[in-house]
Formats: sequence, C-alpha cells, structure tokens
Amino acid sequence: MRPHAASEVHTVETTSAASIARVIDRDLVKEVIGAARARGGAFSELFVEDRFGVSVRLDDGRIEEVTTGTDRGAGVRVGQGTSFGYAYSNRLDRDSLLEAAAAAAASVTEEGPGDVVDLRHLDPPVVHPAVRDAASATSAEKVAWVRQADEAARAFAPEVRQVTALYGDSVQRILIAASDGRWVEEVRPRVRLIVSVVAARDGNIQTGFHGPAGLAGLEFVDANPPAETALVAARRAITMLDARPAPAGEMAVVLAPGMGGVLFHEAVGHPLEADIVDKEASVYRGRVGERLASEILNGVDDATVPNAWGSFSFDDEGAPAQRTELFEAGVLQGLLYDRLRAEKDGVASSGNGRRQSYAHAPIPRMSNTYILNGTATPEELVSSTPRGVFVTALAGGQTNPATGDFVFGCAEAYLIEDGATTAPVRGANLIGRAIEVMSHVDGIAQDFDIWPGVCGKDGQSVPVGSGSPTLRISKITVGGTGA
Amino acid sequence: MPDLQDIVDGALAAARDGESVEAYAEESRRTEIDARKGEVEGLTSAESRGLGVRVIAEGRLGFAYVADPSAEEVREAVARARENAEVATEDEFNALPDARPWEPIDGLFFEEQASMPADDKVALALELERVAVSTDPRVTKVESCSFGDAIGRVAIGSTAGVAAEYRRTGCWCVVGTLAEQDGDTQTGFSFQVAHRVADLDPDAVAREAVDRAARMLGAVKPPTKRVPILFDAFAASSFLGVLAGGISAEAVQKGRSLFAELVGEQVGAEVFTLVDDGRLREGPAASPFDDEGVPTGRTELITSGVLNGFLHNTYTARRGGATSTGNASRAGYRSTPGVGTSNFYVEPGTEPFERLLEAAEGGVLIQDVSGVHSGANPISGEFSVGATGLRIGGGSLGEPVREMTIASTIPEMLRSIRAVGSDLRFLSSVGSPSILIGEMTIAGV
Repeated sequence: MRPHAASEVHTVETTSAASIARVIDRDLVKEVIGAARARGGAFSELFVEDRFGVSVRLDDGRIEEVTTGTDRGAGVRVGQGTSFGYAYSNRLDRDSLLEAAAAAAASVTEEGPGDVVDLRHLDPPVVHPAVRDAASATSAEKVAWVRQADEAARAFAPEVRQVTALYGDSVQRILIAASDGRWVEEVRPRVRLIVSVVAARDGNIQTGFHGPAGLAGLEFVDANPPAETALVAARRAITMLDARPAPAGEMAVVLAPGMGGVLFHEAVGHPLEADIVDKEASVYRGRVGERLASEILNGVDDATVPNAWGSFSFDDEGAPAQRTELFEAGVLQGLLYDRLRAEKDGVASSGNGRRQSYAHAPIPRMSNTYILNGTATPEELVSSTPRGVFVTALAGGQTNPATGDFVFGCAEAYLIEDGATTAPVRGANLIGRAIEVMSHVDGIAQDFDIWPGVCGKDGQSVPVGSGSPTLRISKITVGGTGA
Repeated sequence: MPDLQDIVDGALAAARDGESVEAYAEESRRTEIDARKGEVEGLTSAESRGLGVRVIAEGRLGFAYVADPSAEEVREAVARARENAEVATEDEFNALPDARPWEPIDGLFFEEQASMPADDKVALALELERVAVSTDPRVTKVESCSFGDAIGRVAIGSTAGVAAEYRRTGCWCVVGTLAEQDGDTQTGFSFQVAHRVADLDPDAVAREAVDRAARMLGAVKPPTKRVPILFDAFAASSFLGVLAGGISAEAVQKGRSLFAELVGEQVGAEVFTLVDDGRLREGPAASPFDDEGVPTGRTELITSGVLNGFLHNTYTARRGGATSTGNASRAGYRSTPGVGTSNFYVEPGTEPFERLLEAAEGGVLIQDVSGVHSGANPISGEFSVGATGLRIGGGSLGEPVREMTIASTIPEMLRSIRAVGSDLRFLSSVGSPSILIGEMTIAGV
C-alpha cells in the first residue's frame, strides 16, 4: 500500500475512529474506480472490507478451540445492464487493486471510458452501535460464558449427554465507493451464542438447539445470558425424548412466534428477490398487486430494526437501509431489489444488495423479514383446532422459487388434539407450495418474536432475521412416520 | 510478495521452545462465468491467500488466521494463537502429526487448465447455455448456467517436521433449467467436475439438465403408498452427507454417531460398500496429503454391509487408539482441521441402470430430494424429506410425481438396499450409483 498523508483520509468524514478509511487512501479509491470504467459500463464500484473475529468453541466439556482471525480484501465491480464483471483480491496494494479493476472491466462490451463523480460521504439513515465493544472483554471472559452454558444444560436433566456451545463476535468494517459519487462507511459489530444439546434415554437420541444473535456489542450477551440460551436448547432435546412419530397427511398447523417468519423467509421471501424474478424463476413474477396470501397477512423486509441480526445502515452496495412492504392485506406490494435489477426495472434499489464478504458480488438478499401482528390470541388459535400440529421450532428448510414448493423440518413440535397441545412429535416436516400455504393462513396473533439465522444463496451466507407472531395455517401437508 | 513457503517458514521461525507450531498456507485463483440469454451475465475472477496457525503448548490448542499476511502479521498470528492456547482446556490428545512420507498424485494439476484463456472460458459458458435452451422447445430458460475453474496451492509445515506442498486444478459445469408447459413450471439440474476441461462433457451436462426438467412437466401429487424406491445417482448422493457425519471418529467420540457401537456388525445390505479415497485421482477432492500433512489413502468404511471403522485425523486417532486415515479436513485457512471425507462414495455394483428400472416395477424413481439437511437427524438416523420423481412401469419411466415425502431411518434404509447400480457419479466430492431400495412409503395425498 502507498503511504498516505493524514489529510487525505480526513477529507472524508468518518463515523468511527476505527474506520476502514485508514487502510486505503481516497485518491487510490478514485483511481481504481476510474480504471474499472476504462471500457465503459453503467457504473463501477469498489468494496473494501476488514474483519476481525474471535470465536470460542466448547464441546464435550472442554474448551476445544479459541480462534482469532483477521480477514481483509477488496472487490471491484463493473455493471452493464444486469451483467457484471467482478474481481477481488485480499491484497490492497495499488498494483493488485488496479489488476482487479482491469479484470472486472474486461467483461464489459467496449464503449469508451466512463466518468467518476466526485466522491461524497453519505450519512447513514440509521446506526446500530455497539454499547460495549467486543474487544473490551478478555478471551477468559468469553470462555466463561460458554462454560456457563455447558453447566446450565448439564444441570437441566441427567439425560443430557453432550453440549456444544459456540460463542463468536466479529467487527466488520466496510467502505463502498462508486462512480456515481457514493462513499459509504459502516462498522458492523456482531455477536452470537449457539448452544446445541444431545439428550439420550434407552437408545433414543434427540437434539435441541438455540442460537440468539444480534448486530450489537457485548450488551447483547448481558441481555441474553448464556445459561438461559442453554436451558432452551436442553429443554427442547429432553422434550423430544418423549416424542412419538409425527402423523402424516393434510392438517392444520399452528406455528409458534418467529416460526411463521422462518417459513415466510424461505417460501415467500426468496421468490421475491429480484434476481430470481428477473430469471423468470419465481412464482411471483409479474404478480405485484395481486392477492397472493391470506387477507389478514401483512409482511415486510426491514433492515432498520435497531441492532437486529439482519440489520445494517447501508446495504453492501451503499444503498441506505429501509423498510420494504411485501404484503399488505395479502396483496403483493413489491420485490427485493439490488442495484443491477433496480436499474433494469427503472426503480430505486430497496437496499437489499448484500454480499457475504469482499469475495462475493452482491445479489438481492433479505434483511429482517417479518409477518406483522394480527388480531387473534395464541390460545384461541390452538383451542379452535380439532386436530393438527403445533410447531415451536423449525429445523430449517428448502424452497424451489420457480415452483414455490418447499419442505421444512420440525425440531420441536406437538400434537394438537381437540383444541389442546398434547404429546410431542418427532420426524415431522411441512411440505407445500408458497402461494397456497400463505393463502391458508387463517389466524395471526399479537405475540411477535424474532429468530436469527444464517441464510445461504448462491454460495453466500449472510445473517438474516425472521419474525412473526403465532399463526395458524388451516391446511398443509405434514410428512411424518406415524399414523 | 512472499511465497507460500516463506509464510510457512516465517511462522515456524516464531515458535518458542516447548511449543508445537503448525502453519497451513494456501492460495487460489478462480474464475467463474455465468451465461444467460446468449450473454455473459457475470464474470468473477478471484485471487486469495491466507495462513492458519495452530499452536499447542502443554496440551492446550490455540488457533489464529490472517489473510494475505505480511511478515509481521505472520508473527502476530503465531502470538495470537499462543494467547488463545492459554485459555483452552488441556487435552493429552492434542498433538501435531509426525512427518510421514507422501507420494505425489499424477494428474491433479494441468498446466493447460492453469493457463486456459479467458475467452475460451467465456465461449464454453455461452455454448453450455445455448445447448440448454435450444434442445427441447419446452426448455427455453436457465435458472443458472456456469463454467468455472480454480487453481489451488497448499503448503503445510510444522515444528514436528511436516513439510508438504501440492497444487491442483479443477473445473466444473453447472446447469439449472426451467421447463414450462400449460402453466406448469419444473426445474432440472446437472453438474460435472474434473481436473481439466478436456475431461468435461458440457454438452452432456446441458442435455441432462434439460431432460431432467422436461420429464417432470405435468407432475402430480401421488397417493400415499408403500412402493419400491429407486434413487438415482444424484438423489442417492444427497443422503451420503448424512452418512458422512456418522462415520467420522469425531462424531463417534462425542456420542453423536448412529454407528458408534456397531463396528464389525452388519449395518447395511451385502450389496452395499462405502469408501473414502483421497487418492482417487478422478475425484475432485483428491490430494496426496490431508489438511495437516498426513498422507491420504483408501478407507473401506463399510464392506458388504459390515462396518469396519471410522475416519480419523491425528487428534481422533490418538484419542481412540487408532491411526489417522488421512482425513483431517479444513474449510480453508480460516479453520482448524476437523475430520472430514475426501472422495466419499458408494462402490458401484454390476447392474446397469436399466436392470434396476426393471427390478423396481411399480415403484418410483426419485431424482431429487429436498430438505435432507433439515429433515434428517444425523444422530438418530431418522429422516423425512421432500421428493420428486417418476413412476416406473414395464421397465421404463412413466408419470412424473411431486410434492411427496419419504420418511424412514438411515439404518433401515441401508438394510433394505436390494441392488446397487454400475453408474457411479460424483456430485462434488460425494458420489453414488443408483440405488434400489426394497420398499418405502411415499406420502402424498
């Protein structure tokens, strides 16, 4: 890297003393963006990232691994229509960045060089500050947290055989600058604790999992004590020891708070991502304005929720975070856009262009995807169900956006018999098609809750939040092994 | 720019007396081209390198990693790994492997692949898409269509004397198609991977993806029934990931394997043999040594249905009184070596696919399963997955069926295998031939 004068860095106002602007100088940024537009293209962009992380893994009662990692790199992108060239390197010296710019530029059809507007710093619409910096705690303190989780889970019941507790924090510092003049910086602190418990009785083995997470500092750990997280996971594993095989066939399903959001994310959110729609691989293509869900359903994608796991100040293309209406009274309102697809459709980006790291070109992704509160109570949703399944934890799922077909495993579920939840059931999965199932939502309560997760798409993982109140689907196929 | 070997040497030079230090350095160059509507939709080129350092002192293990380190950052990484070791639990089985001689594998690295011109890659991706959208009038779009290649180099060195380095080229074609007719949409997928482009057949990949989508048009939800099930190579491979979890010694030692107490016992049908072979040249995961420098080899995990043992790295071997099978596995320089499969596959049988079709009279060919990761419990072996496929009648494929679930347990399924086909295919580093299961319940309406 070229040595740079302090004045060059301070030309751009920074939001934090720890800003990434100190690892790369402003003139070089402008030079790289210019080089990337040497052959033309609609825009060029530079994404620079620096990430520091600490993780602690406890397994089998032992602190197995304590890891410290530093990652950094830059990606250069040139866009032309919905096509793009992208090149990245984890070397930040001038030669490497200009080489990346040339590689990205090579993909565009030659049309003469484009210009670069003067870079201007943009203020974030919302910030998600860490109150207590992750670096302020020692490794020994972080080790103590996973030990507390281990002890709490083991003390819960004698059937608990194994506990894995994983603590991780990271600080991602990013800089995005583009030929249209945007200069955006953001510092994203993240904290997560994941506990998974194995319980066994008479040869029957079951697992339980819980993993709260936030875009926050260590105050998140104070608000979500490791022992409490461990108890949720342990209770889940122990409950499932008594589970009988789930029934199979079509029936009513009540989803506990947060779980409807997980289903909404997979089955509805993905097909609403504009790249999938653009590829004509979405069941929602060309259907904005139509009623495609129950009229009691309202859904949003919202990156502005303070300190939520799926939130940010800017997306990874430098568009401000926003709240996007997806469904209003069951009517489809719009799509989730990144820059390429928004420019093609002649609309503004919805701020959903995200990437896992500098090693990935941005694509449309969800942030926090929520089904909003309704008017029912959770009790009445169960008591008015003669026969069905009450799902308190989903294990994850898979959707085919072109057909809307989805499958979800249930990590914790109970039978509903004559309006009451009874025995736990295992091996249940939910299978259906997005539009049909969302149209069968016939009751939504007011006990909204969230469920943090990591969403994978095209080989990229990003933190996302899902959320919903308790809701009922009047009819869905349950795949199980029981009668 | 320091060489990989300089990075490794720099880390080892920072070792203190009485501690073991291991440096794992890797670098890669990768290109991927996505084609759509006759144009390059995306072109990605990448260069990355990094270092992972393990320090073991008094039985305690610490780890640190750093991207593209300077000489100073290499020393810093060793210092951080050392600090991390101080708060870890002492474990007598923590140790670095001793140096063992390893044989290079011919045919992993091809200069012609490393120097393949960018224009040729673009032309290949465009041709792949052209075939995919012009073979069948019902298939005019691709969901994904790409060609990519990678050149990787790994260097490992340790204070225990390990000094190993290899390089490998790889390339792949992926096609996902959309078939449409009368308002119905179906998807199809195909994939191939090799160490050089001359060993790929892009035309076949495109045609297969077209056929797999088109033949699903008009699929119906079948009635719930118990029938013979024939998993094709792709669908069978999907289940191998669940088995891979169970045959790791790490899972066994931590009480997370359904096979824990079953060594020497019949866990599957006699026609079923399960292999891991890091030296299988054709396999995408082939390498002369594993991710801690231990020579790789062929391990028969299940022979004619009998469980022989498990996959080991150095740690699990010491803990279990066994020998490392050369299966230390990392997800790149950012992680410590766990236990993982290399080229992991079901040994092919002698029956061609057509014979299995005849034997599955009245059953269903499953060509795609979904939700295996969420729907299968790797510990209890219970699973319930979504599936799509085609009915089998008179030795040929009939009506397509969708939106059904299959539920069983892994042990029960392994015991019910009636025949294993001769058509072994690798889906990434996991491979399987077609597999005929006696009978299973498909749950539909």
